[in-house]
Amino acid sequence: MIELTPTARERFDAYLSRLRSALRGTPQVEAEEVEQNVREHIEVALGGVPAPVGAEHLGAVLDRLGPPERWIADDEQSAWKRAINRLRSGPEDWRLAYLSFALFAASFLFLPIGGVLLLIPAFVVSRAAVSLLAEKGDPIGARRWLIYPAIATVMVILLVPVLVGPPAGIVAWSIEEKGLYRASGLDRDELLLAERVQLETGLVMAVFGAWWMIAAAILAAAYRPLQIAFRPILDRWRRRHLAVLALVGAIIAAIGATVFYVTW
Amino acid sequence: MPDFYENWTTQLRKGLLELAILNTLGGDALYGYEIVRRLGDVDGLVITEGTVYPILSRLRNEEYVETYIEESPEGPARKYYRLTSRGRDELRRMNRHWERLHEAVGQVRKERSK
Repeated sequence: MIELTPTARERFDAYLSRLRSALRGTPQVEAEEVEQNVREHIEVALGGVPAPVGAEHLGAVLDRLGPPERWIADDEQSAWKRAINRLRSGPEDWRLAYLSFALFAASFLFLPIGGVLLLIPAFVVSRAAVSLLAEKGDPIGARRWLIYPAIATVMVILLVPVLVGPPAGIVAWSIEEKGLYRASGLDRDELLLAERVQLETGLVMAVFGAWWMIAAAILAAAYRPLQIAFRPILDRWRRRHLAVLALVGAIIAAIGATVFYVTW
Repeated sequence: MPDFYENWTTQLRKGLLELAILNTLGGDALYGYEIVRRLGDVDGLVITEGTVYPILSRLRNEEYVETYIEESPEGPARKYYRLTSRGRDELRRMNRHWERLHEAVGQVRKERSK
């Protein structure tokens, strides 16, 4: 091997290390063979330069060889290498998509508290990817599989408590804690089982139905911010869908109240 | 961000580099540096010299080329590449295809200029 100065040797070793890393996981190309070829290339190219060869001469040859990371086309690399490359140096929109999915997947490993803490950045990165694609005018395409999970999960986590939380609390207090019977003066033990079931079912339906009407009004007031926060999943969401929720709530509340009143 | 023309020429060069390497080896056996030099002398064909080596490795893996070591009077032994019979057949097919493609594009251009 040609004699190099310490600085040139250091640079050459670093270059070979990059070469091995760039060619790792490329099924059709043997990294060892390419490294051997590059060593031979350096020997021949610097054959006329007096030893020890300095970093300047070596650098000129390495510059002409170019960065090893660009030698292999993306489609020649293994799937995991492509994924890592896209995350490290791919287009920003793909990088964000992969990062979002990585954070989302990692959130399952650190449940419950760590999971929630990771889900928040996963959501933010997903939204950043969506905004970037919108700015560039690019369709989301296959990236939806990487971007949507974090957005959809956060949406469901927030939506379920909004729709179920307050009425579930009232129902639990009324039935489990016997708040209904204490407030009304009814003796639960004197009622027949059928009467109790009717009364409590009527109460559950009335409370949930009434709350869904209120929830529809709250969601209608926050319509724009919600649509922006959960874009693109809520892009097709319209205010009239909330009218359906309010209508369903009103019907259930009316039926529940009637059952409750008749039983009472 | 590279513009459309730059991106297109890069993709085209990448696609044609294998054909160029096989054609370079169509005559005598050559060692790696010599192949790189010959291709580098053709203006605009090779973007970075190192690109040639992984292609040579792939062509050898696919048995289109084979290697042998030969002592050199100017230094250490060199690894020479030469076409296999499979490589020659493939090169003939590739050259025919390239000629057809070249003619087809020429035809389209001629029709446009009518």
